[in-house]
Amino acid sequence: MEILPIIYLGYMFISIYFLSLFLMLYFKNRNFLFDVPKLTRKYSLSVLVPAYNEEDTIGKTIESIFDSDYLIKELIVLNDGSSDKTGEIAESFLKKFSKLKVINKENSGKADSLNQGIEIATGELIAVVDADSYPEKDAFSKLVGFFDDEKVGVATPFIVPRNRKSFFERLQSIEYSVIAFTRKLLGYVDAIYVTPGPLAIYRKDALEKIGGFDTQNITEDIEATWHLTKEGYKRKMCLNARATTTVPTKLKIWFKQRRRWNLGGLQCISKYKGDFFKKGMLGFFILPFFVLQLFLGLLGLSIFVYLITSRAISNYLFVNHSINVGTSVITMDNLLITPSFLNYLGVILFVFGTIFTIAVLFIMKEKFLVKQNIFNLLFYLLIYLSVYPFIMITSLYHYFRGIRKW
Amino acid sequence: MVEKNQKYVFLYALIITFVIFNFGIFMGYKLESSRVDKIDEMYIEAELDLLDQRIQREAFEIVGLDCEDSIQANIDFADKIFNEAQKIKKFENANRMNSEILFQHKRFDLLRTLFWMNSIKIKEKCGADYSNVVYFYEYDNPSLEQKAEQSFFSNLLVELKEKHGSKIMLIPIAGDESIPSINLLMKKYEIEELPVILIDEKTKINEVNDKEDIEKYLK
Repeated sequence: MEILPIIYLGYMFISIYFLSLFLMLYFKNRNFLFDVPKLTRKYSLSVLVPAYNEEDTIGKTIESIFDSDYLIKELIVLNDGSSDKTGEIAESFLKKFSKLKVINKENSGKADSLNQGIEIATGELIAVVDADSYPEKDAFSKLVGFFDDEKVGVATPFIVPRNRKSFFERLQSIEYSVIAFTRKLLGYVDAIYVTPGPLAIYRKDALEKIGGFDTQNITEDIEATWHLTKEGYKRKMCLNARATTTVPTKLKIWFKQRRRWNLGGLQCISKYKGDFFKKGMLGFFILPFFVLQLFLGLLGLSIFVYLITSRAISNYLFVNHSINVGTSVITMDNLLITPSFLNYLGVILFVFGTIFTIAVLFIMKEKFLVKQNIFNLLFYLLIYLSVYPFIMITSLYHYFRGIRKW
Repeated sequence: MVEKNQKYVFLYALIITFVIFNFGIFMGYKLESSRVDKIDEMYIEAELDLLDQRIQREAFEIVGLDCEDSIQANIDFADKIFNEAQKIKKFENANRMNSEILFQHKRFDLLRTLFWMNSIKIKEKCGADYSNVVYFYEYDNPSLEQKAEQSFFSNLLVELKEKHGSKIMLIPIAGDESIPSINLLMKKYEIEELPVILIDEKTKINEVNDKEDIEKYLK
């Protein structure tokens, strides 16, 4: 057997494995997916909002936090040396909201700003909210119940794209739903590997235990989640709690955002490489999962480039010969392809992948998601996801060149 | 709320994956085996036909059978193995696991070689006016350039076959399978590079700039 079919079979095995894993977790927990933990006691909650040049959204973020049905202890806006009117806009709310504090500081990055916020925050729990994200009214109250379990270090809601009108935004909304759904399922096996920036509530003790956010990591939220996992803290997710966020509207910004996520992931792999197959879920699932993703993405891209290039060269030479001599370039016989069993398996897997994605969109009960048409869905599965290996390549380039900018 | 640890699901998913995966492999193997079986059937039929051809040729020499009938039978057989070669090529391209198809390929190459020899003899004995066009190609590991050239040669020969019909005995043979008899014949006709077209055991063509380059050698 040649090497390429073996690699294809390897990909298929892994795809079937994850599909089976998610299906089993779904069927086992389908009646509890949207459950909300009971609120048995009140926790004091401090909210940190790191902000850098967020004049367009900071006001709405502050209002949405104070609009919450959960009584918050304080809201600290950490204006990280913004060059726009972020600080002024935040300060304009000081009279309206007595629990609001605005810290204007020199630019030192998001992680460092958060660490300064942790030092002055007095709540038992600390919610981190991105300055372009709006928690829904009941988001905090639906999440704090998780902290009755002392082992829970962080809880996160379903992050929903706020802007979802354009085709590109709708593709991202499919992605956010699939991510949220699979994250919820992974929560049942204690395998959540990121609690995203738009909204996450941390136990303050846990954050202090891990020394706050890593200022060297470009995705401090991923790193904090891994660190908490290493320290034995559970990560929880509530699909019923929501926060909306602004997703990139332009391809270039989207590409940069995803590259930053990948770069942060690479930094985490490097930082925690010593924990491979050690330390519970971090070593036995999260690290191998990330490395496998990286490996499969790069291998897939290499094979794709090799096949496309060799086919292109061969076809160019063939067409050249044929045109020179005047023979046909395409015959009926060329069009009648006899599929291999790998083709059949590939089609079956693709069909299952499509059904899985459609099912996720229905399960998430989002009207705007259900209304996604089949073209969006196919584009998402065939084109949108195919861009990821290319992003990975540029992330690796940035990583090895030591480029760490946003 | 379900808070129970469900980590056993990792193992269960692995077991389910093994079952589904092995079922897929089994089905794939069955599919490929059925194709090999089809080739096997074609081979047996072709072998019988060729045997019949050879008997006809022998009978022509011994008891003086009609030469025209023998030529026509040879032409029919040539068309048949040409069509079969096309079908086998498609199956080979699609088969990924069952290496038996490679073995079948060698058997067919031997059969075609035998047919080529038979054609030479009939031409000698009966003075038939067809041309033997033997196409030697790289089977195992052609380079990109060889692949392109072979695709081009293949299309060109198909077109010539369609145009000239029974005037051409088109016989494709893999030249890199280390089969002693084929190697000996290649040595005899000084064939060192693949692909090459050998017309009437005299003219070798490695490069074609015009269809005329081949047609001028056909009878």
